[in-house]
Amino acid sequence: MAICVIALVVFSVLGIFSASHRKIAKEAFDCVFRRLTLRKCETGLDKRLKSQITGSLMLKAPRVAKFTYKNFEVLSWILTILLIASLGYSTFGAYNFVRYGNCNGDSDEFCIFDALIPEGESEAISACGTVEPNLDNLIVPQIGDSHTIGPEDAKVIIIEFGCYSCPFSREAQPVVEQVLEEYKDEVLFVFKHFPIMTHNDSLQAAIASECADEQGFFWDYHTILFENDNHSKEALIEHAGLIEGLDVAQFSLCLAVQEYVDVVNTEIDEGKASNIYGTPTFFINGEPLVGPKTFRQFKRVINRELK
Amino acid sequence: MANVEKLRKDFPILNSKNAPIYFDNACNTLRPRQVLDVMNEYYEDFPSCVGRSHHKLSQLATQKVDAARKQLQNFVGAKKSSEIIFTRNATEGFNLIANSLDFEKNDIIVNSDKEHNSNLVPWLVIEQKKGLKRVMTTSNTDNTFDVEAFEQMMNKGVKLVSIVETSNMDGVTNPIKKIAKIAHDYGALVLVDGAQSTPHFETNVKNSGVDFMAFSAHKMLGPSGMGALYINQKHEDSLAPFIVGGDTVSDTTYEQAIFEKPPKKFEAGLQNYAGIIGFGAAANYLKKRVGFSTIKKQDLAINNLITDKLLEHNATIIGPKDAKERSGIVSFYLQGLDNHQLAMMLDKSANIAVRSGVHCVHSWFNAHKLDGSVRVSSYFYNTIKEAQKFNDALDKVLKVMIK
Repeated sequence: MAICVIALVVFSVLGIFSASHRKIAKEAFDCVFRRLTLRKCETGLDKRLKSQITGSLMLKAPRVAKFTYKNFEVLSWILTILLIASLGYSTFGAYNFVRYGNCNGDSDEFCIFDALIPEGESEAISACGTVEPNLDNLIVPQIGDSHTIGPEDAKVIIIEFGCYSCPFSREAQPVVEQVLEEYKDEVLFVFKHFPIMTHNDSLQAAIASECADEQGFFWDYHTILFENDNHSKEALIEHAGLIEGLDVAQFSLCLAVQEYVDVVNTEIDEGKASNIYGTPTFFINGEPLVGPKTFRQFKRVINRELK
Repeated sequence: MANVEKLRKDFPILNSKNAPIYFDNACNTLRPRQVLDVMNEYYEDFPSCVGRSHHKLSQLATQKVDAARKQLQNFVGAKKSSEIIFTRNATEGFNLIANSLDFEKNDIIVNSDKEHNSNLVPWLVIEQKKGLKRVMTTSNTDNTFDVEAFEQMMNKGVKLVSIVETSNMDGVTNPIKKIAKIAHDYGALVLVDGAQSTPHFETNVKNSGVDFMAFSAHKMLGPSGMGALYINQKHEDSLAPFIVGGDTVSDTTYEQAIFEKPPKKFEAGLQNYAGIIGFGAAANYLKKRVGFSTIKKQDLAINNLITDKLLEHNATIIGPKDAKERSGIVSFYLQGLDNHQLAMMLDKSANIAVRSGVHCVHSWFNAHKLDGSVRVSSYFYNTIKEAQKFNDALDKVLKVMIK
């Protein structure tokens, strides 16, 4: 019976994709059901599986085949118990994933279900279209003259190449803010412009942020730009007006003459030198994370670096 | 004597990369290229109706089918080709006789105690339907035919003796000529199940004197879904049509049908022409290219080798221990071992195909309270080397299975 329980689970899964396996799953179900109701398994599936397994083993290891044949029922029960235990453990992991966002519970350890996330969004980037996407080719950039926030002597340095007009950079922004809130004493955050030219006004938005910086309001304006997706010239000036103390006339003039285009271009060149292939791209103490990752994924890398 | 290695080259599957050791010939034989080619030819070159149209293709198809009937006539030694009726298999032949013969209430039918279901179930059904009586001969203790007991049970009330010639279960061949003589002495007719005997022994229905004989193509290198029924011409008018329709009649009105003479009378609807042509080619191949002396020699040599090995393992062989009495079949079981598992392990571990189960002879196994057996059935293309490989594989499998 034990082997039929295993067959039922295995072939039910395979049966999703193949009709021939579905037939075996049905046989296994019939066998399990009959045995549970104290009747004899009539399909002969248990015997077939036993013969197939031991027959195959005979070709490679006759002694193992003999042992397997003799102790088939015991081995089947051991496998069944392991199968049930692993199913239980997987269910617990799934519950944790739903409840805590991590299959290990309230922890930042690696979770196998992380593999599910890239299917949706976390690997999504706004591609710059000039470099082949390859994580291994990424080169860690220097902080340089880029804007930073956080302690200078922080153990963890996060460098982001971002684009204000990129939806994925915008999606990552709340997580970045959460990271900076949680690790404000341990993390130095560096932002480098990498405006994706296919997005309207992306270069203009980057230059506008430098104009805000001229008056000491870079990070305030940075936040506003990620909160709003309209980066037309009029909108950029309007956004600047939201910052108390910022001289909008000076800002408008700065924007009009594109005074800081070279600053932005320098960072674009840095991005190119690092083989950046899209935004957002993060480097946490040199380890690249491409796309809008979850807070837990950031947390896992940061905590490892802090140890 | 034909060269077995040369003959093996005719069989595509035996020359494939992962060629099996095929010992399930009592169920279904392999097919040589000569049979496959003529069947393909029908579909590729003249795929038309037989005996209905007047165009060239139909004429050619008619010639080929007529030639196949002639080949089958020669194969079983019938007097006329019209005595050969094409059926789907031997089973259909038994059903045809069961439904066409003019049985009367209380007529007696005699079967042996080890008939294949094909020669048992039709009689069980017709027995109920027409109020017949069915009696059964019992075999000797070694499963050979008990002629004396048969003679004692015969009486004038027996209408038909429907009996197997070579048993597919144990390979034992019944003395059909003797049986036919005794039956005829009592005025009974004789229907023979020749499915297992025609592939292994030269058959001559004129000589054996049987009235009917059903046999199948798939057990003698022919296509599956094809069979034939020999009907001695003296019975052609006394048999009522069975399956009727197109081709069985020469004329119809809204009120009645005028039936053709055999074979048309019994071959309703469009036939399996490719199958018929293939069947003829198979008969021709066996008779001319192989020869029954080769078959007999191979059957015996292989059966001897395997029988010796089985006796070494204390296996119980169904039927006589002497291999020469069991044609190409050795049916056995080992106490405490599951037959199906043994067969599957031979297949999985050594690519050897044998049959396990009750071989469609449920009645005999039920009567003897046995679960079934493993049946090794060889044919002329099996070699001594294959028999030795079987023996080696059996040693290994039993080493694993026996505690």
